[in-house]
Amino acid sequence: MSNQAAAPTSPEKKEFWRWQENTWVDESRDWRDAKILTCGIDVGSVSSQAVLVADGELYGYNSMRTGNNSPDSARNALQGVMDKCGMALEDIHFVVGTGYGRVNVPFAHKAITEIACHARGANYMGGNQVRTILDMGGQDCKAIHCDERGKVTNFLMNDKCAAGTGRGMEVISDLMQIPIGELGPRSFDVREEPEAVSSICVVFAKSEALALLKAGYTKNMVIAAYCQAMAERVVSLLERIGVEEGFFITGGIAKNPGVVKRIEKLLGIQALDTQIDSQIAGALGAALFGHTLMMKQGAAKAA
Amino acid sequence: MSDGLFDQFKNWYEKRHDYARAWKARTGGQVVATMCTYTPEELLIAAGMLPVRVLGAHEPQNVTEPHIFGMFCPFCRDSLAQGLQGRFDYADGVTLTQSCIQYRQAFGSWRMHVPTVQWDYFVPMPNEVQSPHARKAHYAEVQSFREFLQALTGKPLTDEMLREALDVVDENRRLLRELFEYRKAADPQVTGVEALLAGLTAQFIDKREHNEELRKVLAALPKRNLNRPEGVRFMTIGSENDDVAFMAMIESVGGTIVIDDQCSGTRYFWNQSNKDADPIKAIADRYCDRPACPTKDYPDHTRYAHVLGLAKEYNARAAIFLQQKFCDPHEGDYPDLKRHLEANGVPTLFLEFDITNPIGPFRIRVEAFLETLTEEDLF
Repeated sequence: MSNQAAAPTSPEKKEFWRWQENTWVDESRDWRDAKILTCGIDVGSVSSQAVLVADGELYGYNSMRTGNNSPDSARNALQGVMDKCGMALEDIHFVVGTGYGRVNVPFAHKAITEIACHARGANYMGGNQVRTILDMGGQDCKAIHCDERGKVTNFLMNDKCAAGTGRGMEVISDLMQIPIGELGPRSFDVREEPEAVSSICVVFAKSEALALLKAGYTKNMVIAAYCQAMAERVVSLLERIGVEEGFFITGGIAKNPGVVKRIEKLLGIQALDTQIDSQIAGALGAALFGHTLMMKQGAAKAA
Repeated sequence: MSDGLFDQFKNWYEKRHDYARAWKARTGGQVVATMCTYTPEELLIAAGMLPVRVLGAHEPQNVTEPHIFGMFCPFCRDSLAQGLQGRFDYADGVTLTQSCIQYRQAFGSWRMHVPTVQWDYFVPMPNEVQSPHARKAHYAEVQSFREFLQALTGKPLTDEMLREALDVVDENRRLLRELFEYRKAADPQVTGVEALLAGLTAQFIDKREHNEELRKVLAALPKRNLNRPEGVRFMTIGSENDDVAFMAMIESVGGTIVIDDQCSGTRYFWNQSNKDADPIKAIADRYCDRPACPTKDYPDHTRYAHVLGLAKEYNARAAIFLQQKFCDPHEGDYPDLKRHLEANGVPTLFLEFDITNPIGPFRIRVEAFLETLTEEDLF
């Protein structure tokens, strides 16, 4: 028996906040058949997406966590989807960067704000009846009005605080030790709907959540109270700008029914549905803008 | 590349404390920290003093919390911080003319806690300048200020001295208006940042020197070609603003600031005095007549027509509200003023300013606003 003690190992830390990164391509088509291939790269504060658009239609995407370096996040996001379909950067005709790191996408031909890109993406995903968009991103949220083309007519963003954003939900997920994808469904598994937590500050969330648990709340009740508070916060932002019919939600939180259903209840309207991943709206809008610009360039050359 | 035409203003702005110290050493005169642009600085100039407007430094600070609430506007807190941190240790006196209550508290704290200040004076100017009694009351207050300064210096402030000072200040106002005329044309020969620096420095540089510099610049302007894309013509609206980095950001992303309604800009110098045999009357009336701050704009809201008039005269395509957080007077005006501008074809963007401002998030908002006004090519 060895008298050497085994080196202590820390227990494996489970990352409950870690949301599903994913890559998808439309296998019913071959990108080589497309006349115009464009790409939108959305480097957000928490997640990065690369979307490929072939002849004006969504072809593929990759969604992953943003690293500590915007150019690398952009490269990695794009590489992920290109690898899946055997494409190279040279095959893409136009790249548009968007998001918080939009000016740091090294191979982008143009940078456009995520506000414009989310509106354009929502217009594609929800159809041209979309007029009000709520983008619930990693560290900010935006209320956007657009016209039937997806052009922004008005917008509001939250202030510096990250309360009520995706990052806040990640913190709650870790605090409750419940995978982030389960938070929404579990928030409905309560006997009665609790009141919203009084503070959705990401920093204070922990002490408030612990106080509620101590007061006898179940974990699901705490989650429900947090989802309700988040919904109330973004609804107040929406109400400042006004909500028009044709309501669409983009961003990671759109995947959380615990927040979405509560927003719908507070507003008294239903959000339009889509089969497309809500997290790619910005990058999709960017790629669609790239397509339009390419089309116009072609038209200009032909004239 | 800049032709350096406005470098003197930039240099003065960046080294304003050095300038004031050197001025004091050179002339032996008193330097007076002035808070609020309603201060009748003509009297200080007539008394041989240098009025120096207290501006913030846009640096994080933690010295004001024991003295004024955190929900006082950032400009109040930043102005007080400058005093507490000894940045104005050369100032002999400090004055405030009544505008808003938060600033009055900041002034009160300056008086109590800035040990280098030897004297202070508060001019209780009426806020309801539209009242038929306001002019008479303000005349009396300006006259009292004159008597205070005479007692302080032990020297008379004659009508002749006041007239002479008023002429210098009016000339400064006239020259700044002339400079701002160059912003009306397409592809203006003066950028928003340059105009901001010229207007701001007038508030702490010896007016005679400032006038001389303005004349030099005005002589060179007719031949100037900036050779920069104009982009979207913006107006800025708000209280105090000397955030040069923010203004430069707007002008780097496809905009040009062509006019403002701010106390650090046009409201400071827009109107000259009316000639009057009595210089105190000329001075007092001028401050009652100037484009109003929201604290002095009731019961009628004269600002709304004035602001829209400026936007139209300077062909501003859109306006950006630079709202100092917690500034109640401006927050009170905002909803109606926004409606008024938008109903008359001037879209607006609202930004909330603090002591330090996040340029990145502001840039997203400004660029997105620009995209709503342009970028038809994308559709």
